[in-house]
Amino acid sequence: MKYAAIGLRLRGDPLRWVVIAGIWLLLFLFVLYPLGCLIARAFTDQGGVTFASVAATLTNPNHLRALRNSLILATLVGAIGTLAGFLFAFTAERTDLTHRVRRLLDFAALLPLISPPFTTSIAFVFSFGPKGLITHDLLGLQNAQVYGWNSTVAAEALTYFPLAFLALRPLIASIGNDLEEAAYSLGGSRWQVFRTVTLPLCLPGIANAFLLLFAASLADFATPLILAGNNLPVLPTDAFLQITGMFDLKGGAVLSLLLLVPAALVFFTQRWLTGRRSYVTITGKGGARPQAAKVARWLRCLLWAACIGLAAFIGYLYALLVYASSVVAFGANSAPTLEHYRVIFTEGIPAIKDTLIIALISMPLGGLYGVVVGYLVGRMRFAGRQALELVSMINYALPGTIVGIGYLIAFNDEPLAITGTAAIIIACYVFRYSPTGTRTTVALLAQVDRSIEEASFSLGAGTLTTFRRVMLPLILPAFFAGLGAVFIRAMTAISATIFLVSINWTLITVRILENMTELSLGPAAAFSVFVIAVVVVVTSVLDLVLGRMMGGTLQPSALRT
Amino acid sequence: MAGKQATAGRTVGRARQDRLTRRAFVASSLATLLTARAKAADTVKAYSIWPENYARPMMEAFEKASGIHVNFIRFSSGEALARVVAEKNNPQVDVLFGGPVETFTAGQGQGVFEAYKPAAWSELPARFKDANGLWTAIADDPLVFMSNTQFLAQHNLYAPASWDDLLDPAYSGMIQMADARTSGTAVTRIFSILQVHDRNEDEAFAYMKKLRKNVQVYTKSGGGGTLPVGLGQAGAGIFFIVDALFTRQKGYDVQISFPREGIGSAAECIALIKGAKNPDAGRKLIDWATSPAMQSLLAPNKINFIPAHPAVKPDPALAAVLAGAKIIEIDDTWAGANRQRIIERWIAEVLNAS
Repeated sequence: MKYAAIGLRLRGDPLRWVVIAGIWLLLFLFVLYPLGCLIARAFTDQGGVTFASVAATLTNPNHLRALRNSLILATLVGAIGTLAGFLFAFTAERTDLTHRVRRLLDFAALLPLISPPFTTSIAFVFSFGPKGLITHDLLGLQNAQVYGWNSTVAAEALTYFPLAFLALRPLIASIGNDLEEAAYSLGGSRWQVFRTVTLPLCLPGIANAFLLLFAASLADFATPLILAGNNLPVLPTDAFLQITGMFDLKGGAVLSLLLLVPAALVFFTQRWLTGRRSYVTITGKGGARPQAAKVARWLRCLLWAACIGLAAFIGYLYALLVYASSVVAFGANSAPTLEHYRVIFTEGIPAIKDTLIIALISMPLGGLYGVVVGYLVGRMRFAGRQALELVSMINYALPGTIVGIGYLIAFNDEPLAITGTAAIIIACYVFRYSPTGTRTTVALLAQVDRSIEEASFSLGAGTLTTFRRVMLPLILPAFFAGLGAVFIRAMTAISATIFLVSINWTLITVRILENMTELSLGPAAAFSVFVIAVVVVVTSVLDLVLGRMMGGTLQPSALRT
Repeated sequence: MAGKQATAGRTVGRARQDRLTRRAFVASSLATLLTARAKAADTVKAYSIWPENYARPMMEAFEKASGIHVNFIRFSSGEALARVVAEKNNPQVDVLFGGPVETFTAGQGQGVFEAYKPAAWSELPARFKDANGLWTAIADDPLVFMSNTQFLAQHNLYAPASWDDLLDPAYSGMIQMADARTSGTAVTRIFSILQVHDRNEDEAFAYMKKLRKNVQVYTKSGGGGTLPVGLGQAGAGIFFIVDALFTRQKGYDVQISFPREGIGSAAECIALIKGAKNPDAGRKLIDWATSPAMQSLLAPNKINFIPAHPAVKPDPALAAVLAGAKIIEIDDTWAGANRQRIIERWIAEVLNAS
């Protein structure tokens, strides 16, 4: 954190260059080097360089179909998820909900984000299949099919829309009231104000949210693995299957490299989109909440109904999970039991201990790293800034399977043989999940005009004072956002780390996947419930601490990003 | 005044020292966390392809019998092999435990195993061992048809007794089976179908394409479809007997049947990893797992693998299920040599047909 302060000094500060060089070194070691090892594996054959495997992939119609499916899926998930996230965020901030209802929406939106993988997918399978609880038992449909586009899009949108909600909510909360007030006093209608003031101010956030969701869907292999069925091949799943099933590391590497192209495209589109206009709200973030209701009554009711409906559906999915964790055998024997919890707190203890240790170490490292990179990218001008931003996003945008395999190849041998240690998992989490903190920092900084810092300087405050009194409070929410994101992902991620767990260090999520394949649905559900409980407790504590530190000027719940 | 300052200086000094000690402590505990954990006196490390609920009682019994601690983690066959191959230059485990023979022949091709012929080696039939001792069988696991009893009743069907029974339109979109890209179960199934068609590939693939019309989904793991069949989300599927019987033990109402044309079986194997850090302990685990000492524990633990060692008889209930079943032999050498090609053909012609 203290390094970020250095950036405020004038050009030529040597420490600033030390920080930049340090970040580059880390990025080289933990992002570029493993990726390079992976690419080398894809393009070399017995010592020589070859393009044969790449050519074979590009001419294979099945792989091209998978690429097309991935792009369509990511676009749909990005659009639907962002819409749902905006709906939730707007409703939570602008429709005078009671505090209790707002907390309820908060919690419902948080659940999918803090759940281990597969939970939504599995709940979908039980709800929508031929004997599904909803399709068969509730609606009486015969032969309903769950596998395919509909459920994959729905499950992914449901899993990832909280990313949009969390990215948009603080923006909507802090968008200049003054501007809206001014627009109203100039005679603007509600719709006009929304369209010409609120929405444009949200645009960087919306683009940001879409990017987050697009990238998340593009990289998700868990949901299609369960729900896509036979007619919807997607790239990350195919790459995963190519590597783990066909023992074809090279083929998987090539497939995954195809994903880099759209990920980069989206990234640059977003930069272009947000770079066109200035979205600075002159007075900084401001703290006051909107005074007057700015949404028509009928629209308010509609928004409430939509959000509560969605929240109720999420609640149903998780009730199913809790139910599965506390009956003898789901669907066969409904006698209540605590046996599954006994199993996870005896046989499962090593996994629980390892996961908590790794998550608690990754959290501060990732939070700090995220804010430092965000500050460099969002506030400083230096050669290679865009390259640094792009490189820092690579591990986030890449399918986790590929990051995991890249790490496995790169760090199994000298000079940095850390396979089998906790360090490799921690490094993976820090460099893969800190971009949330980075992006939040950038987004927050984008709303604060440089003149605030300049004013502080011209009033005689030094670098440190300016940082502590002006910048720190402004990016503190981003630091906490980073902490929360890294911790949540450290508790729930699987795609990359399934390759990095070892005899010495294993993770709860890997146990959950194993339990699923072993038909031990009960322990899998119990583990999931445990993970959710831990994450809720830890994020609530973070919330509380942040609220204390912000001295009540901002509502803590608005900052859980 | 001066004295006071001196005291203050000392206090500051002590505080700094405390802080340094604390820092050193934090640093050293971090170092312990970040490097591999301290090893017990004698520990064998293994990747288990057998699910934890099958492997754990076995490993615990071995610990008791030998005094050697077993550190194991479970992966599916494809993942376990991918890891062993990726870790070739720096092996993390000593033993690959359990899993169908086709995983071991694939690993053999990658040169990741060290030859070892355990004590029981000479007593095993040829199908249960590699000629050079690169792998040895610990159990046998035939495929079965498993169907949901209620589904059968609703559609007036008997439990399928022929491969062709599965083509009945009543099963349309209601059969689950494993995906050959990830699952040893699926590979064994495909080679069974080839064998039933006397290795006439075109005929066998024509059958598989017809069967695909009834397939709801190809699951990633071999047992992935058992729960859906148990719940009635799917009507029937093709699984290893160990998974099918486990489903029934859990209380799901399912029928187990065999095709009269015959169905294949996979030997479950064990192998020593080349370059293992503790090969001696690894050999002891292999000796024990291939002997009656371990395999006689399968029945009491309700684990429905068929023991590989001829001296151990299968559980009577398991033997009763198997009575009358026609189990056919799949030639491992032929299967190993054609595995890649056949799977690729399956992906192109069956999986991606639509």
